[in-house]
Amino acid sequence: MQKLIWAEWKKLRRSSIIIFTILATVLVAVIVLLAGQGMTTEGYYLNDAGWYMTMIQPWATMFVLPAVIAMLGSYMICREEQDDTLKSLLLIPVSETKLTAAKMIVTFILSILLYLLLFVITLMTEIILHFSALSASMVLGFFKSYLLEGIGVFLAVSPIIVLVSYTKKSYWLDLLLAEIYSFAALFMSMSSVTKTFYPITALLGVAGYYETTASNQIGSVIVLLLCGCLSIFLLLGHSQRKKEEKY
Amino acid sequence: MLNLIQTEFLKLRRKKMIWFMLLAAFIMPFFAFLFFEYFNKNGVDSMGFYKWSVFGFTTFIILPFILGVLCTVLMHDENRYDMLKQLWIVPISKMGYFFSKFVIVLFYSICFMMITAVTSVLFSVLPGFVPFEWQSVLFLLERCLEIAVLTSFGVLPILAIASGQKGYVFPFCMTLLYIFLGFFTSSVNIYLHPLSSISFIIARSGNIPGLASAQGINVPLALLCTLIWDVLSVLFAHFSLNRRK
Repeated sequence: MQKLIWAEWKKLRRSSIIIFTILATVLVAVIVLLAGQGMTTEGYYLNDAGWYMTMIQPWATMFVLPAVIAMLGSYMICREEQDDTLKSLLLIPVSETKLTAAKMIVTFILSILLYLLLFVITLMTEIILHFSALSASMVLGFFKSYLLEGIGVFLAVSPIIVLVSYTKKSYWLDLLLAEIYSFAALFMSMSSVTKTFYPITALLGVAGYYETTASNQIGSVIVLLLCGCLSIFLLLGHSQRKKEEKY
Repeated sequence: MLNLIQTEFLKLRRKKMIWFMLLAAFIMPFFAFLFFEYFNKNGVDSMGFYKWSVFGFTTFIILPFILGVLCTVLMHDENRYDMLKQLWIVPISKMGYFFSKFVIVLFYSICFMMITAVTSVLFSVLPGFVPFEWQSVLFLLERCLEIAVLTSFGVLPILAIASGQKGYVFPFCMTLLYIFLGFFTSSVNIYLHPLSSISFIIARSGNIPGLASAQGINVPLALLCTLIWDVLSVLFAHFSLNRRK
């Protein structure tokens, strides 16, 4: 498995997808920074210490990053079929289930790294804007939130990524589903029940963006873990189907 | 040009994904139905319902996203299979090729918004939220047509970016960011981004509740914003298609 993960890293280095996803993350930060120029009766939004680090979390999570992370995962899975390298990999032989699992692990790591990149960008901006108002506990709190969001987003979109491994060509469908899925969180956040159990809002609750009770947080964690389990089942189901097709 | 457009329509028959994407037209009318059913039972008027189902997130996010993906799909498939070389050998005009794709986007946008309009009427009238009135339905259809045409011009930059790229990753990322930028610039300056301009143009007469600030909008300036982005996009597409052999 280690070798497969290492090989996936090597393959990604040759592709421009990493640069594009980093660019997307940086631009999200820039756009929210521009939106911070909006005025309230008390002045600019950006005048409040922590506003930027707080507000970027739901906007990035409901609009851009889940789709970008789903795109990363589906790209890695579909490219073997598109570049016609899957045949060669199966000849080695490499187990297709292990290969997909390795790709999922790399997507998981990238999901965390993207959120940490967002954390670093927002922290730097906050340091420049309100250095004196920042405290170590506040920064650590935000670090924990971003880290949990990176993990949570991966778990939430993982079933959609695994679905791609079934067809290998439906990455458009994957991107579309991921975007609608994350965007629907805007409406799911209106009710406390859907806010707790809808995966995208659940991850924001676990990360600490929404104020929730301990029992609701446990419910949200269970939902996210169920998403992860569903992905594993889908992956195993796919491998089983392949075996049955062989014999 | 008509031949090119006809060919583009014939190519669409092979893309099942295009039909699947039309399902997104049901999203906001359905959420509007849920919202009024469970959260806001008292005092629903037709404009309030349509603001949720059509004039809000459909205009800002869903339609631009669907059209952005469509632009990427239309350009990517031919790039991926290296079909462009053969098309240039025929020969066909590079800008004719670009505009034939745009006509597809325009046509698709109109179909999408008409489905949204019909679904909105059904979701508002059938559960009994609002009575059926020809005046409001005709207003909705008129504004949906406006949204469809203006948004298809609004996503021309995505089509231009997709025409210059072999892969789909960059145009897709740009689609997300372009929509995200439009969503946020509407609170800063509505004349900076086509999508934010469009959202205010459709509310110009002030009869959509919650968008009353649009009464003072300068429509020619908002259209000029879209025009500038479109001219730049066409120039970019011209440059990038000519660069490709």
